[in-house]
Amino acid sequence: MGGLVKLAWLFLKIGVIFFGGGYVLIPLLHRIMVDQLQWLTLKEFLDGVALSQLTPGPLAMLATFTGYKAAGFPGALVGTVFIFLPCTVLMLAISSRYEKMRNMELIRTTLDGLLPAVVGLVAAAAWNLGKTSLSSGRDFLLLIAGLLILQFTKVSPMFVILGAAALGLVFHFS
Amino acid sequence: MERSQRVSLLEIFKVFFFIGATGFGGGMAIVSLTERVCVHEKKWISMEEFMHGLAFGQILGPFSLNTCTFVGYYLRGPVGGIIAASAFIAPSFILICLLSWLYFTFHELPQLQSALNGTNPVIIALIIVAAVGMGRSKVKGNEAWLMALAAFAAAALLNASALTILVAAAVWSLGRSWYRREHS
Repeated sequence: MGGLVKLAWLFLKIGVIFFGGGYVLIPLLHRIMVDQLQWLTLKEFLDGVALSQLTPGPLAMLATFTGYKAAGFPGALVGTVFIFLPCTVLMLAISSRYEKMRNMELIRTTLDGLLPAVVGLVAAAAWNLGKTSLSSGRDFLLLIAGLLILQFTKVSPMFVILGAAALGLVFHFS
Repeated sequence: MERSQRVSLLEIFKVFFFIGATGFGGGMAIVSLTERVCVHEKKWISMEEFMHGLAFGQILGPFSLNTCTFVGYYLRGPVGGIIAASAFIAPSFILICLLSWLYFTFHELPQLQSALNGTNPVIIALIIVAAVGMGRSKVKGNEAWLMALAAFAAAALLNASALTILVAAAVWSLGRSWYRREHS
């Protein structure tokens, strides 16, 4: 029980600073789950990102995966509920009185001003993850192929990930 | 927009569960599906109101989820909002639980390891493409570039925590917005 409360509190805190879309969760969760708490290995973390991209839900489904690893199904449920609690409560509050919100403009400009830091953080996450997990020429080849496909075609990331998994399976990547 | 009768909570649940189960592609793909269903097919909400919800949805958390919450609230108040949000997340939640169970149970299978080894570099490519896309639309002007570079350097080279960087950027940005509002 104590473990679940700790998990709830942890995901609640992450939910409160969940600015700038789903990708900011990658540096946040990587730092907390892999570096600090060591609930996941780097490999498991990357695999979790891959799995969360296979669902229609937001990248935040990564919280479900991490919660599952930490405490099984109850952990998955607690992680999911608490990471989405702050944004849902905020959205309900805004919906009920959005015409009256005088400070809305201030919030929007603050948010826009903060986004460059999110971009920097996401880029740093790619750097940090790549530095430790890309080790062979084959990895870099896949990285470049992935970059080209994801940047210049409209193929859904889900299919790119499934395609890469199929390649790995067929050619027995070790 | 006039609604002749109240939409039932069950109907809200069914529609958002359907959106959550079929909206593969995430993000904007979900939003356009929600728009098609709620604005055009069901005529639950006007386009203008829907766009407001989308704008507010950018503030905190995933906007796909937030837009669903907004439409649910618009139809049936807080209960409607919570039902729409839960119904939207439910299919992905079930799928992820299943995948997590498979993953942690069959972790050692060499076939699974090979498949996932193929995906790792692609995930990094995905993160880079996300950073480039966000950078193109959100980083404009020298000051913004400086902030992006500082955040990158602090996280990649100095190993500062993402939380610290975000809070620092938020305080800085709030201060600037406040100053501009008071002095203009």
